[in-house]
Amino acid sequence: MSEKIYAWLLRLFPSRFREAYGEEALQLVRDRCRDEKGFLLRLRLWLDLLGDLALSVPRAYFRVQPELTSYAAHLRSEGVPSLLILPDESLGAGTLFLGGVLTLAATIAFSFLLNHGVKHVPLSALIRPARSSADHRSSSFSPRPPEPARDSQEGGIAAASGRQPEMAATSSRPQNSKPNDAPSNGPAPADALRPRKEESGQLLRSSNAILAGAHLKRAERERVIRGAVANLKKHYIDPVVAQKMADALVGHEKKGDDNAATDGRAFAELLTQQMRDVSHDRHLELLYSEAPLPELAPTATPALEARYRKAMEQANCTFEPVKILPHHIGYLKFDSFPDPSLCQQTAAAAMASLNDADAIIFDLRDNRGGYPGMVTLIAAYLFDHPEYMYNPRQDTTADSWTRSPVPGSRLADKPVYLLTSARTLSGAEHFSYDLKMLKRATVVGETTGGASDVGTFHRLDDHFGMGIPEARAINPYREPDWAGTGVRPDVEVKARDALETAVRLAERKLQKK
Amino acid sequence: MPKRKLIPLPSAAFQILLALAGEDLHGYGIMRQVAEQTHGRMRLGPGTLYSSIQTLVDAKLIEETEPREDVKLGHERRRYYRLTSAGRKLARLEAERLADLLRLARAKKILRGEYV
Repeated sequence: MSEKIYAWLLRLFPSRFREAYGEEALQLVRDRCRDEKGFLLRLRLWLDLLGDLALSVPRAYFRVQPELTSYAAHLRSEGVPSLLILPDESLGAGTLFLGGVLTLAATIAFSFLLNHGVKHVPLSALIRPARSSADHRSSSFSPRPPEPARDSQEGGIAAASGRQPEMAATSSRPQNSKPNDAPSNGPAPADALRPRKEESGQLLRSSNAILAGAHLKRAERERVIRGAVANLKKHYIDPVVAQKMADALVGHEKKGDDNAATDGRAFAELLTQQMRDVSHDRHLELLYSEAPLPELAPTATPALEARYRKAMEQANCTFEPVKILPHHIGYLKFDSFPDPSLCQQTAAAAMASLNDADAIIFDLRDNRGGYPGMVTLIAAYLFDHPEYMYNPRQDTTADSWTRSPVPGSRLADKPVYLLTSARTLSGAEHFSYDLKMLKRATVVGETTGGASDVGTFHRLDDHFGMGIPEARAINPYREPDWAGTGVRPDVEVKARDALETAVRLAERKLQKK
Repeated sequence: MPKRKLIPLPSAAFQILLALAGEDLHGYGIMRQVAEQTHGRMRLGPGTLYSSIQTLVDAKLIEETEPREDVKLGHERRRYYRLTSAGRKLARLEAERLADLLRLARAKKILRGEYV
């Protein structure tokens, strides 16, 4: 056996060597095999053979013992020298070539391994183990990666990571919560985050395939309920109510009330209802996402921030140019509430160009939200005194009040109309709700999307997560906020007719003056 | 003037010359003799052994003799090698060179007397 392997290895030597000594080399191996029996001796034999190959094969090709010949010639001609001195020789071209080829091969092999080692699907994605919930901060529970949580400048919830948007890409209401129907309406923060979804989705696609269309297993239901109970006890603001809700969830499970829910979405809605029956907290909910939820919450990386900044620069912070319509009605459409630290100037410029208008229409029909700091910043132009902007996501701080009056602004007494649609979400709903409740604006259009992105997101498993509110701002109004229901317009018309209606209302109002 | 350096006789070649100093040997015999005279520290693998033999034969420091059987190792005919006079001379020169080195090492108190 050893001899056969060595016979094969002998092909590594140059043919000249093999012709001259190949048979003898084999004979030597044969001799050693015969004489050296036993595991240790055999192991030593093979170590010898391999070490010898590594040394002597290169030598056989690039004869590194030329000195012997000259040594002998030297002896014959000169007599008795004790030392031999030869001119220094640099490395041969062949040696350099071989070194280069080996280095290249090693580099290629390494990068190949690196690429192919990373692509494999982790086992955990296939077996879907019970996993304790990882805490993800998010402002929306729609089937997309949890976004960075809300603006920390206003205190409360997300204290660690600085400015972060409140924004919903899709509503979590069943009728529009398919994972892929997020409308792309320009470079909003959600767009900046979208590629992350694809990356993380790849890893988990296989587990998604397992679940897609499949019935919800009893084991998964139990796992989700266990996770929900643990998260409620850990995070819910009122421990007594949390315990009651946990008891309700476990009780319903034992009674078999959940058995009918074999579909992920129906199950999530059922559990949400069970919790709300006890707590009457509409901000608490359990969600199902057909697309796998990413393992780790995305954090605001510098690269992501740079992309957002660039997108905002290119899109003028999502503010369209102000138009002055007939009868001096100013019209401003903006599709997000961008980061005030980047877009304050742009917002101020837009508001300044509205100064000469007699009435203002803000078009929020494609506005999917953003930063609460920008909500307060824009609202500040509309008041002549600081006004409280209630935000259910955050505890009340000094930043909950507008910095009114804004020097140089003449908008504080102008009538304001807000155009809304079912795609008006999150921060835009915050803006609409408060201005409506303060009777500072007339909301014209459709009921808004009702983004319930109010709590902190906690992942339960690949497809289930829950939002648990951690802030308890007191709602000063009788009407509940928009979470799950949306902001109802004062004047309900189809979104596409909203501008026309608002213009008519504004004209009528201006004529009365 | 180009830089110069000293190139000693490769130790495998020197050991082979020494192994053949006593008697003519075939390859495996050389390998075993070298292992014995170095107290097992040097086990020449076939590649090193035969490329050294090749070099030594080319330099006429050793020569091949008529193939014959080694009765202790069966009936295979084996090539035997014999030290030439040039080889013997070279081995002696190498040994003297080493002896010079030893004397130097002793003079510099690197080695004590009892080692030689």
